[in-house]
Amino acid sequence: MATQHSRAAARVMISPAVILLLGWMLIPLGMTLYFSFLRYNLLMPGTESFTGWDNYYYFLTDPAFSSAIVNTLILVGGVLAITTIGGVLFALLLDQPMFGQGIVRILVISPFFVMPTVSALVWKNMFMNPVSGLLASLWRFFGAQPVDWLSEYPLFSIVVIVAWQWLPFATLILLTAFQSLDQDQLEAAEMDGAGALSRFFHIMLPHLARAITVVVLIQTIFLLSIFAEILVTTNGGPGTASTNLTYLVYAESLLRFDVGTGSAGGIVAVILANIVAIFLMRMIGKNLDA
Amino acid sequence: MARAVSTRRKWITTVVAWALALLIFFPILWIILTSFKTEAEAISTPPSFLFFDWTTENYGTVQERSNYFRHFWNSVVISIGSTVIGLIIAIPAAWAMAFVPGKQTKNVLMWMLSTKMLPPVGVLVPIYLIFRDVGLLDSRLGLIIVLTLINLPIIVWMLYTYFREIPVDILEAARMDGAALRNEILYILTPMAVPGIASTLLLNVILAWNEAFWTLNLTAANSAPLTAFIASYSSPEGLFYAKLSAASTMAIAPILILGWFSQKQLVRGLTFGAVK
Amino acid sequence: MTRTMRALLGASALCSAAVAAHAQDTTLTIATVNNGDMIRMQGLTDDFTEQHPDIALEWVTLEENVLRSRVTQDIATQGGQFDVLTIGNYEVPIWANQDWLLPLEGMPEDYNADDILPAIAGGLSVDDTLYAAPFYGESAMVMYRTDLADEAGVEIPDQPTWDDIRTAAEAMTDQDAGIYGICLRGKAGWGENMAFLTAMANSYGARWFDTEWQAQFDSPEWTEAVNDYLTMMNEYGPPGASSNGFNENLSLFQQGKCGMWIDATVAASFVTDPEDSTVADSVGFAQFPNKDGVDNHGNWLWSWNLAIPSSTDAPEAAKAFVAWATSQAYTDMVAEEEGWAAAPPGTRTSLYENEEYQKAAPFAEMTLNSINAVDTNAPSVQEIPYTGAQFVAIPEFQGIGTAVGQQFSAALAGQVSAEQALQNAQTSTQREIDRAGYGE
Repeated sequence: MATQHSRAAARVMISPAVILLLGWMLIPLGMTLYFSFLRYNLLMPGTESFTGWDNYYYFLTDPAFSSAIVNTLILVGGVLAITTIGGVLFALLLDQPMFGQGIVRILVISPFFVMPTVSALVWKNMFMNPVSGLLASLWRFFGAQPVDWLSEYPLFSIVVIVAWQWLPFATLILLTAFQSLDQDQLEAAEMDGAGALSRFFHIMLPHLARAITVVVLIQTIFLLSIFAEILVTTNGGPGTASTNLTYLVYAESLLRFDVGTGSAGGIVAVILANIVAIFLMRMIGKNLDA
Repeated sequence: MARAVSTRRKWITTVVAWALALLIFFPILWIILTSFKTEAEAISTPPSFLFFDWTTENYGTVQERSNYFRHFWNSVVISIGSTVIGLIIAIPAAWAMAFVPGKQTKNVLMWMLSTKMLPPVGVLVPIYLIFRDVGLLDSRLGLIIVLTLINLPIIVWMLYTYFREIPVDILEAARMDGAALRNEILYILTPMAVPGIASTLLLNVILAWNEAFWTLNLTAANSAPLTAFIASYSSPEGLFYAKLSAASTMAIAPILILGWFSQKQLVRGLTFGAVK
Repeated sequence: MTRTMRALLGASALCSAAVAAHAQDTTLTIATVNNGDMIRMQGLTDDFTEQHPDIALEWVTLEENVLRSRVTQDIATQGGQFDVLTIGNYEVPIWANQDWLLPLEGMPEDYNADDILPAIAGGLSVDDTLYAAPFYGESAMVMYRTDLADEAGVEIPDQPTWDDIRTAAEAMTDQDAGIYGICLRGKAGWGENMAFLTAMANSYGARWFDTEWQAQFDSPEWTEAVNDYLTMMNEYGPPGASSNGFNENLSLFQQGKCGMWIDATVAASFVTDPEDSTVADSVGFAQFPNKDGVDNHGNWLWSWNLAIPSSTDAPEAAKAFVAWATSQAYTDMVAEEEGWAAAPPGTRTSLYENEEYQKAAPFAEMTLNSINAVDTNAPSVQEIPYTGAQFVAIPEFQGIGTAVGQQFSAALAGQVSAEQALQNAQTSTQREIDRAGYGE
């Protein structure tokens, strides 16, 4: 099939993308790696000196580090769970015949277009604020004590905000998958007396496996580096209750201006992200190859 | 759909779907409504829903404070610029991966995706220093370069999955006819790939438009896009809900409208190979 | 697609042409914080550009924390993106020592630098040279609702003790009516809750470090201050206090939800402005409280200042702008356009001698007294190795203060106990200070 000639051509065509990304990865990463072995505080120029593994030791023994790992996992896992389950249900619903389907679809996908900063600002101030937020009004309307979302349930609140933004994405991809489902097969199953639930679990869900994998993969890539939503809503707090790894690195490099420790944190984050990547690749390999 | 569905069931579905859709959409609706209230009405309890004195003064105040159109134009140039350049680099790469797959194709693809997992904040200082030395700080070109690179993996992957669904037989036939590689791409592949390219383009414009880390940290006055515009409203001063809402509406409206109108194109290619 | 590309290139060429047309003028890029006074200044810049038609102004307006990290990053790497910076009195001496700022010498004759309040000028000078010009300055004081105090039958003396405050907070609280006796900062950050808590601890006789640079969160003074703070806020404070900073509290007070609010004096003109505040005509003022027997009223001193980075390429134009924005003439202009109460407070003696200002601003005297009472060389009554105010004037303080602030914010949110928070604060502070090599 592919001739020698076309293989060479293919390589030429791929190379710009590969070279650019390699440069993008290696140059800053190389510098970050170099900085991570320096004592380098932005506020004290001229005092840079080699410190060995000090920055790594310091970053890894920070009490905030272990909670940051846990928070990162909860954040990614929570949003993935809500968006995939919610996405499947929404897609199932939107696939049914109804009046005004087009408009419903537009309404549902809208949150995906909203800037993360804007959605975080609006959720924080206009919805979750315990005094003048809309949810507080709703709670009071039912005679309940308003909940102080961002300080009582900081991580949960952020998961909700982020899930709101990503639910449309999951719904869209899953909806497309539903639409490619073989209707005859479904009808045949219905004739055979399979109930709605059994049809869902035995025919629809397996059909969706690929789509779900894609949703998980793409969202994980974006969710690992969630930052704006945390910065705007809780600043990683109270305490470190909503600090994820990205935010911790940010706090080191841009709040403490300790570039050395921040760089060490960046390298740690890259390593962990790559572990996740390998894990994902295995998963994808299984599901996407076929 | 071939199945006959009872009208009753259709009505129930309609009601449920509309209720849920409105719930999902409600925060956006609320931003827009609040932007037309006065500050006092914006915080009134119980909140007023539709019956209030509509005013556009917030938009005036926001525009007076910061030049919206300049931020808007920067956002347009940066998001479209980075997407177009990204496509120019990604189309050949994705084409090659899809039609001349090698042993390493999949690994290269996954490696590309993994570069997206770099936490940007970890490499901010190096990039800042490089940009300072080459004079790219606070320039649209600098932002276009960065956004092209961070979105390139997604572009390549999305195009790759789309291209893979194009039946190879057609290309084989063209090759039999002795069509040159260039013609193959130009006359056969491109028309078939247009929906996929269009939806990739849309998705990336959206992602670039909403990117809020690099656009904030590498810009000052000249190239600051709408993400920087909204950043000046990110902490309340006294009563501010209405002004915040007006600024938010202005920041999200362009991309929201684009999204609504191009919804069909966006969805068509947004499968990432999820459908076989 | 080629057409799109061409259109795009054309468009950006057009834009660079537009920029080039302005190139003969000097363009100043001014980084500033999104405070009310700064935004007012932006609105008044026509006056400046009329006087200096050859200088164009570009604004980068950001929220405080974003501004700080953005500006520090640029100045530390000598990125040179800004010509005028808005920075606090915490940064000024530190940055001046790094030669990052240009000294403000040779200001125009009518600038009258001697008019600047000595306490403020002292914080902005290194070796008697001014490195930044104060735009407005503040100390902290108690702002309270006179109507609620009357209703509750409590009186707040001009120099209250913390006991007075607690009694008043209890009496004014009416949670069913949505009225909270006291609003204080709870949002984590060295310039947010730690500004307040450091001042409060100062007034309890506490200190951050002893003369050997040992952290002092295990001292009885800190323990008492933090416990009293938490008790007051839990019992009489608004819900969600752990995410309230200056601006959130301002908003609450303006909405009439707070009985008392102890915060920056600059807030006085906002809470008494009938346009933004629903309680404008019933606000009283008192000095920052102290603990009975401790002669210390917090020593809170902050000023937002305009400084010129040494990386600027237009130092003269920048100086002209700084002089304009911090001059007496600017104050007069604000007074003329928006009334005397809106004049930027806390920088010039002349403002406080102005009778019209005294009449328009019932808070003038209390503000001036509070500022004058500050001693930045001795913020604590105990012996200390540092200078400062509601902060410790060392570069590491931003990091340390924010980490400690997170602990106290978590304690306020009820996630850790006061004891645990103090202990964590002690460990993390000592860890940072040892690492930085103090006390060696």
